[in-house]
Amino acid sequence: MVVAGMTVKYDFGVTMNNINSQHGTPIALDQVYPALANIPLEINGKETEADNPDRYKQHGFHFNADNCIACHACESACSEKNDLPPHLAFRTVGTIEGGYYPDVTRINISMACNHCEDPVCLKGCPTRAYTKYLEYGAVLQDPDICFGCGYCTWVCPYNAPQLDPVKGEVSKCNMCVDRLEVGLQPACVSACLGNALDFGVMEETPKGQEEIKLTLPSFPDPSISRPNIRFQQKRELPESFGRMDAGEMTYQRGEGNDNHFKIAEKKTKKLEGWGFDKLRSREDPLVLFTLVSQFTVGAFLLLFLLPSFTGMAVALSPEAHPFAFGGLLVCLVLVQAFALLSSTLHLGKPQYFYRAFNNLRHSWVSREIAAMGAFFTLLGAYTLVTLFPILITWLPEALSQNIPDWLGWGTCLTGLLGIYCMYRCYRIPARPYWDHWHSGGVFFASGLILGSGLLGLVFGGAGLFANVGLGPLLNLLAWPLEIGLILQGISLYGHRIDLDRRGEEAAISRILMDGVHGKIHRLRLMVWGILMLASLAFTLIPLSAALALAAWSLALVLALFNEIIGRALFYVLVVPTTVPRSFFWGNERFENDARKSGLAALPQVGVVEEEHSG
Amino acid sequence: MLFGRRTKNPIQLPVKAVDKWVYTTCGYCSTGCSLDVGLDDKGAAITTRGVADADVNRGKLCLKGIYEFEVFRSLNRGRVPLIRKTRSDPFTETTWDETLNKTASEIQRIQGLYGRDSFAIVSTGQIYTEEFYTLGKLVRAVIGTNNYDGNTTLCMASAVSGYKRSFGSDGPPGCYDDFDQTNCLLAIGSNLPEQHPIIYYRLKEAYDRRHFPIIVVDPRVTLFAQMADIHLPVKPGTDLVLLNALAHVILTEGLADQNYIQAHTSGFEDFKKLVEAYNPEMAEKICGIPAKMIRKVARIYAEAGAAMTIWTMGINQSTHGSDGVVAINNLNLITGNIGKPGGTSLSITGQCNAMGTREFSSCSGLPGYRTLEKEEDRQFMADYWGVEASFFPQKRGMAETDIFPAIERGEIKGLWLIATNPMTSMPDTARIRKSFEQLEFLVVQDAYSDVETNEYAHVFFPASLWGEKEGVFTNTERRVNLVRKVMDPPGEAKPDLWIFTEMAKRFERGKEMTFSTTATEVFEEIKTLSKGRLCDYSEMSHDKIEKQRGIQWPCNTEHPKGNRRLYETGVFQHADGRAKLIPLPFVDNNECPDKEYPFWLNSGRLVEQWHTRTKTGKIGNLNKFSPTPFMEMNPRAAAKLGIAAMDYVRVHSRRDSAVVLVQLTERVAPDAVFIPMHYFNCINRLALGLLDPYSRQPAYKQSAVRIECLEDQEAAARENVAMRNY
Repeated sequence: MVVAGMTVKYDFGVTMNNINSQHGTPIALDQVYPALANIPLEINGKETEADNPDRYKQHGFHFNADNCIACHACESACSEKNDLPPHLAFRTVGTIEGGYYPDVTRINISMACNHCEDPVCLKGCPTRAYTKYLEYGAVLQDPDICFGCGYCTWVCPYNAPQLDPVKGEVSKCNMCVDRLEVGLQPACVSACLGNALDFGVMEETPKGQEEIKLTLPSFPDPSISRPNIRFQQKRELPESFGRMDAGEMTYQRGEGNDNHFKIAEKKTKKLEGWGFDKLRSREDPLVLFTLVSQFTVGAFLLLFLLPSFTGMAVALSPEAHPFAFGGLLVCLVLVQAFALLSSTLHLGKPQYFYRAFNNLRHSWVSREIAAMGAFFTLLGAYTLVTLFPILITWLPEALSQNIPDWLGWGTCLTGLLGIYCMYRCYRIPARPYWDHWHSGGVFFASGLILGSGLLGLVFGGAGLFANVGLGPLLNLLAWPLEIGLILQGISLYGHRIDLDRRGEEAAISRILMDGVHGKIHRLRLMVWGILMLASLAFTLIPLSAALALAAWSLALVLALFNEIIGRALFYVLVVPTTVPRSFFWGNERFENDARKSGLAALPQVGVVEEEHSG
Repeated sequence: MLFGRRTKNPIQLPVKAVDKWVYTTCGYCSTGCSLDVGLDDKGAAITTRGVADADVNRGKLCLKGIYEFEVFRSLNRGRVPLIRKTRSDPFTETTWDETLNKTASEIQRIQGLYGRDSFAIVSTGQIYTEEFYTLGKLVRAVIGTNNYDGNTTLCMASAVSGYKRSFGSDGPPGCYDDFDQTNCLLAIGSNLPEQHPIIYYRLKEAYDRRHFPIIVVDPRVTLFAQMADIHLPVKPGTDLVLLNALAHVILTEGLADQNYIQAHTSGFEDFKKLVEAYNPEMAEKICGIPAKMIRKVARIYAEAGAAMTIWTMGINQSTHGSDGVVAINNLNLITGNIGKPGGTSLSITGQCNAMGTREFSSCSGLPGYRTLEKEEDRQFMADYWGVEASFFPQKRGMAETDIFPAIERGEIKGLWLIATNPMTSMPDTARIRKSFEQLEFLVVQDAYSDVETNEYAHVFFPASLWGEKEGVFTNTERRVNLVRKVMDPPGEAKPDLWIFTEMAKRFERGKEMTFSTTATEVFEEIKTLSKGRLCDYSEMSHDKIEKQRGIQWPCNTEHPKGNRRLYETGVFQHADGRAKLIPLPFVDNNECPDKEYPFWLNSGRLVEQWHTRTKTGKIGNLNKFSPTPFMEMNPRAAAKLGIAAMDYVRVHSRRDSAVVLVQLTERVAPDAVFIPMHYFNCINRLALGLLDPYSRQPAYKQSAVRIECLEDQEAAARENVAMRNY
C-alpha cells in the first residue's frame, strides 16, 4: 500500500540521548564503522542518500501489545508491497490467550524481522546472502545470492526468514528501506489501524507510547540475537497464556509478579505412542547426510588408525584382504558421494552449491561443507593411490612412499574437523534441544558405532572367506563399538538432564520424546542396552567364526536401526523458539492437516501442497 | 556492510510501477473508504492506496482494501451469459440477447399465469445507487411485481425499521466525527475492529486523544470488548431488557433531559410507565449483568453530556431487532443525544451501498425515502416516470425472508437474484434448497459464475464488479462517494445498469418509457427526485463528490458541502415533527438452549472475509487467515465432551448438521459457541433465523445446538473440504 500525498511522514531529527542500546551496544553505527558511512545505498539500480540525520542510527520496530487488534493490516500491507504469494509472509500476527470467560485476555503479537544487533542469520548463512547495513541498522537478505539451505530459518529465534519451497530461496523483511529513504515509515507501520506498531531510532520512545521494554510474554530470550524491537504492555495479565495454534506450550507467569512468563507444558493427558508417521520431516536428507558422513569418517579413521596403533595390521590390511580393503574404500567414496549429493539436492537451488564457501569467516555451515568437501577429496585421493599405486610410483621414492600416509592423515584430520563443524552447526540457541554438547557426542558416537560395525562385517566376511579365525578382529573392533555406545549413552543421559534443567522449549521436546514418540524412544534405549551387552560379549565370549559373524551382523542391523531412529528423532523433537502463530496462518499443524485433507490444493489457502524435497 | 563487507550490495526490492491512479470508494463494507487503484502501463490493476485527504479513512485501509486490486484478476468470474433448460442440464454459453429474451419472456409467462406478484426480485447492497434506482424503476414501473427486496433485509432492515418508528424516517443521524466529540460511547452487538476496522481506527484515534469511557455490550469477548473500559457480557437475546433498565435508572434518578423530551418527543408517559417495571434487579436476572453495573453505566451515559450509541448485527439480527434499535433511540432521546455533536444513534451499516438501496432502490417503497403507502408519493413518482399511479401497489410487498416461504407455498414461481447468494447467506439452508427446487425459473445475476446459488439457476447473467463501471455508494454516515471506472469487465460481462436497461426494452411498458443509460444521467434523475427530501442530493455531482472525497447528505443550497448530522433542530420526520418514545415490552421467543441442544450458537464476521466469500475467498492473501470455517468453543466445555483443539466436530441443530473445526477459546461462554457467517454449508445449515416482526430480519445469532465428537477425524476433514466444493 502506498499512502497518497505521503502524509504519514516519519518524524526525523529526534535528538539522541542514548549512546548505547539496552543491549549495551552503540546505536550510532557510523561511529563504530566510520569507513562505511557516506557511501550511497543502491536500491533498484538507483543511488539514494536521504537527508535524515538519524540514518546511521540503529532503527527498529516498537510494538504496543495492548493495542493490537489482529486486523492483519500490517501483514497485508507488507505482503502487498513485497508482492508475496499467499504461502509466504514477512510479518505475521500470532495470538496468545489467557484467563477465563468473560475475564479473558488476548494478546496479538505482530512480528517481522527484528534487524538484530547480533544477526545470527547473517553469521549462520553460508552464502553471505545477508548484510547488516549501516543505514538504519537494517539486516537485508538477497534472495538471489541465497541457495535455499534454510539454515537461517533454523537460527532465527523469531521466524523472520521465510523459506519459499516453490522458489527454493529465502526472503525476509527489508525494513522498507526504500520508503525510509524517501521519508516514509515502513509499509506495515503506515498501515497499522490500532496504534500498535511504530518505528524509529532504538531507545527513543515513540510519540504516544510510554514503555520500551525488551520482552513480552511468549517473546524469545533477547540475549540470543539482541533484537531491535521494543514493547509496551501495561494491561493487567492473567497467570498463564495458551497459544491459538494448538501448540503444546503454555506461558506461565514466573516467580514474583514481574510479568515474566516462562514456557510450560500444557496440562493435558499425554498418550505414549510410536509416532512413526511423525518421524519423517523435511530434514530427511540431513538424517542421511549426517549419518553417512559420520559413518564414513568413523570407518576410515578406524581403518587407517587401528593398524598403526594396535599392531593388528594383518586383519585390516590390503595385503591380507585386497578385495575387502579396496571394496570398502570404494564403497566409502561412493556412499559419501551419494550423501553429499543428496544434501546438495536438499538445497532450494542446488546449482549454486559453490556459494557454500562464501562465509567461512562466520558460518559453521560453510566450514562444515569445506571440511567435508576436503575429507571427500582426500578420501578419494587416498583410495586412488592405494588401489592404483602406479599413479604415484613414478614419483621420487621419498614422495611416493609417503603420499598414501599423508593423504590418510589428511583424510582423518579433515574428517574429524568435518564432524566437529557439523556439530557446531547444531549449537543453535534458538533450538535449545540441539544446543548442547550431546549433539557432538552422538555425532562422534555414530561414527564409531557404524564405522566399527562395518569394518567388522567386511573384514570378518573376508576372514571367514579366507578361513582365518575372527576372534582377534572382532575382539578388537568391539572396543570402538563399546566406546561409541558408551559415548552415546553418556550423551543421551546428559542431554536428558539438560532438557529438564533448561525447561521452556527444551521441556516441550522432552514431553514429545516421552509422549508422541515415547514408545519408539524407549525401544531405542532398549536396543542400545542390547548392543552394549553384545559388544561386551564380543570382547569376552569366544565364538566360532560363522556364528560370530552372524551375531556381529545382527548387532550391526540393530545399530543401524537405532542410528536412523535416533537421528530422525534428533530432527523431529526440536522445538524452536518461536513467536506464537495464529489459528490457521503459519500454524504447522493446520498446514499438515490441509495437505492431508486436500484443502491445500487451493492456492488461496496459503499452504503449499507439496513441500520441496530436493 | 558490517561484518567485513567493504562494498555495499545493491538492494533489489519489488516495485509497483503505477502509471495511473483511479479514484474509487471501497466496494466491501459501508465504512466508505476512499481508495485509489493503481494501474500499470498495460492497464492492469497492481496496487491500491488509501486516499490521504479523504475524511473517512485518512490514508488508511483495512486488509481487504489493501488487496482490493486483486479482485480484478480473481478466478471464476462470469464471462459469458449461460442458459439451461432444467437445473440437471449443464449450462451452455450463449448470447446476451438469448438470456435477456428468455428471462423477459419467462417473467411475462409466470406473471401472466400466476399474477404479477408471482415473480420476485431480490437484489443487494453491493451495486451503485444509480443501478439501484434503475432497477427500482424497472421493477416498480415496468415489471410491476411487489415482491421485490434487497438482501439488506438480512443486515440492516431492523435499523431501518427502528429509525422509521422512532424518527419517522430512515437515515442514520450521526457521523464518524461524533467520536471526536462524544464523552461516552456505548457499543451494542458491534465488533468494530473486526467488522469495520477503519471506523475502529477513527474511534481509536479519538479515544487516544481524549480518554472517554467506551462501554461494549456483547456476549462474546471480542477484542473490542477487551479494550473497552466496561464490558457487559449480556446473555444472548436480552439486550432489550438491558436498554429498558438503563432507561429505568435514568428516569428514576432524574438524569433524563426533560427539556428535550418535552420539546421534541411524544409518547413519554406510556414509555415511562413501561420502563418502571424494568428495574436493574429484574434486569440482572434476565440479562446477567449485575444491577449495580447497570446503574453505573446508566449514570455514566446520562451524565456524559454528549453520549452516543453504535450497534451492528448484535442488535439487528434478533427476534426483536427493530425493538432494540428503537430502545437505543429511546435512550438517546431521553438523554437529549440526537442531532448534536457526539450524541447520536449511529447504526454501523454492513454493505458498501446498503444505504443506497435504502435511499433509491424502491424495494421497500419509492425513491428518496418515499413510501408506497402515501398516495402523494405514488402520484409524484407516477408522474415523474410517466406511468399511471394505479400500477403501483398501495403497500410494500414481501421482504426477502418472506419471499422464500412464499416460494415454498407456491405463491412465487420465478426469481431474479442480483449480486446476492442466499444459498450461503440465508438461515436454514435445507429449507432454502427446497424453495429453490420449487422455482419454475431462476435467473442469477452475479460477477462470479461459481456463486453457490447458481446451482439452481436457469439463466446466469455475468455482471461487472465494483470498479468496472462508474457510480456512487452511500456509507454509514450518509456520505455519498464515487467509484470511477478502473477497467472494463472481463469477457462479455456487463454493468448491472446495462442489464437493467436492456431488460426494460423487452417489456411493452419499458419500451414506452425512457431509461437513462449512463450513470451520470441517472444521477441527474436522482438529484431531481431527492430535492427537498431528507436524503437530498440536489447539489451533488460526480466530480464534486470526487473533489470533496464524498459528500454527506443532505447536500442542497442550504448545505452545499453536505451536512454531518440530521435532526440538529430537533424536528423529526413524523407528521407532528416529534420523535416517538415507544414502550417496548420484552418477550423471550428465542430457541434457547435446553438439555437436548445445550449450546447457544452465535455468528459473526471475520475481518479478512467478505460476506459469502465469493470475492475474498479467492484472494489468497486474505483467505489464508481463515481458509475453512471454524467454531469458537470454550475449552472447559470442550474438555467435558472430550474435544481437543483443532478437532473436527459435527454440530447439530433442529434443522441440520455441519462439520466444523474447533478453536478453543475463553472468549465464548461455556454454554455458547461461535461460527463465522461466511462459509457455504456451515452455520446457515444450523441457524434458525426467526424473523423480527417489524423488519423481517432473521435472528441469526440465537439458535440452540448440540455438539458431537467425531471418531474418524480424517473422514471429517475430507467432508469439511467436500462441503465447500460446489
